[in-house]
Amino acid sequence: MISVRHLKKTFGRVEVLKDVNLDIAEKEVVVIIGPSGSGKSTLLRCLNYLEKPTGGEITVDGMTLGGDTDINKVRAEVGMVFQRFNLFPHMTAMENIILAPIKVRGIPRAEAEADALRLLAKVGLADRAAAYPEQLSGGQQQRVAIARALAMKPKVMLFDEPTSALDPEMVKEVLEVMKELAREGMTMAVVTHEMGFAREVGDRVLFVDQGVILEQGTPEEIFSRPKEARTQEFLSKIL
Amino acid sequence: MNFELMVQAMPLLLTGAAVTVQITALSVLIGIVIGLFVGVARISTYRIVHLLAAVYVDFLRGTPLLVQIFLVYFALPVVTGQRIDPFIAAIAACSINSSAYVAEIFRAGIQSIDAGQMEAGRSLGMTWLQTMRHIIVPQAARRVIPPLGNEFIALLKDSSLVSVIGFEELTRRGQLIIARTYASLEIWLCVAIIYLAMTVSISRLVAWLERRYKIDDQR
Repeated sequence: MISVRHLKKTFGRVEVLKDVNLDIAEKEVVVIIGPSGSGKSTLLRCLNYLEKPTGGEITVDGMTLGGDTDINKVRAEVGMVFQRFNLFPHMTAMENIILAPIKVRGIPRAEAEADALRLLAKVGLADRAAAYPEQLSGGQQQRVAIARALAMKPKVMLFDEPTSALDPEMVKEVLEVMKELAREGMTMAVVTHEMGFAREVGDRVLFVDQGVILEQGTPEEIFSRPKEARTQEFLSKIL
Repeated sequence: MNFELMVQAMPLLLTGAAVTVQITALSVLIGIVIGLFVGVARISTYRIVHLLAAVYVDFLRGTPLLVQIFLVYFALPVVTGQRIDPFIAAIAACSINSSAYVAEIFRAGIQSIDAGQMEAGRSLGMTWLQTMRHIIVPQAARRVIPPLGNEFIALLKDSSLVSVIGFEELTRRGQLIIARTYASLEIWLCVAIIYLAMTVSISRLVAWLERRYKIDDQR
């Protein structure tokens, strides 16, 4: 579904990603962990071209990013959930969800609304369609954001620290929605500090440090038998 | 002080004030339309578009409105060989001048919107323009109401400059009455009071609009 070859990204003189290679198969859930500043969020943001790679090649669903490829076509297939939710504050939950399907996919409004109601029910917010983001808790906002991304019927979902900005009691409700998605076979790449989620849901865990994928394997391999000293050190600090 | 003269002059001055309001309102309206495009162009990622908009804004903010009025009214006919109607010249100069300030107001308003909003829109597959139109501009619009109000007031006062091309708005009417009556004190006082009444009314209106949309924002 996604293939990354020799990905490099520099900000000014800082090398954030150095030669990253990665393949994500259909229906695979890949969890990306690592210390802050390791480049894990940048890696994720390169996958839908929110960050423009400095070098290397990224292919998503058969489309190679950059060059002549219409990036909006790629992004329509790649849903993204942000740390800070980024809901549109001047629109209701419903309007947030139906905007892109109508404008990008050209779906009739009535159909988009029916779809949105179904998605809101799926994330447990069927009764909040008319609510504005400000009237929702952080956890509810993030669930609306997930519904908004899903409304485009993406083939891949990217999650950039989706629970990091949440109060602790709201983390679970968001993770539950993500688990449900994984069970349904959604292809997912998740940057997170939630090791419980990584262990339970991840098919594969990547440990990113200093701009490279230092170590990867099944959750069992990474959490129980990490090979690299830096992985061990990182896990000992957070577990 | 001749109060009788002031009362007599009032109707004539007020019709002049109506003309002032007319050119100001028209100029602001046209200025907002041009300014929106220029403001968006100012933050465009296309370098040429961005550069042209910057030059446009710099030129208009870096030269006096009075000189711009002369350029439109006296210099342009030299090039085209056609005389320009003072009303058209006044509107053109004022609205183009205002559009530069309005562009900067829109630019600041747009840039005050969190970058995550653009990212969210783009990540859904919307184009830059679609995201601007449906997500960024509607949010920025609420924030630009107060500075736009200030611009309206500034332009209303600056419109007195078009009196130099003989266009009969409030200031010009005052000059003409004084030429007849020599009552400088009385007439300029009247003119000042009328300007003050207009600017105070506008700032009240803007304050009301601001309150209204603040409440909207908190929904």
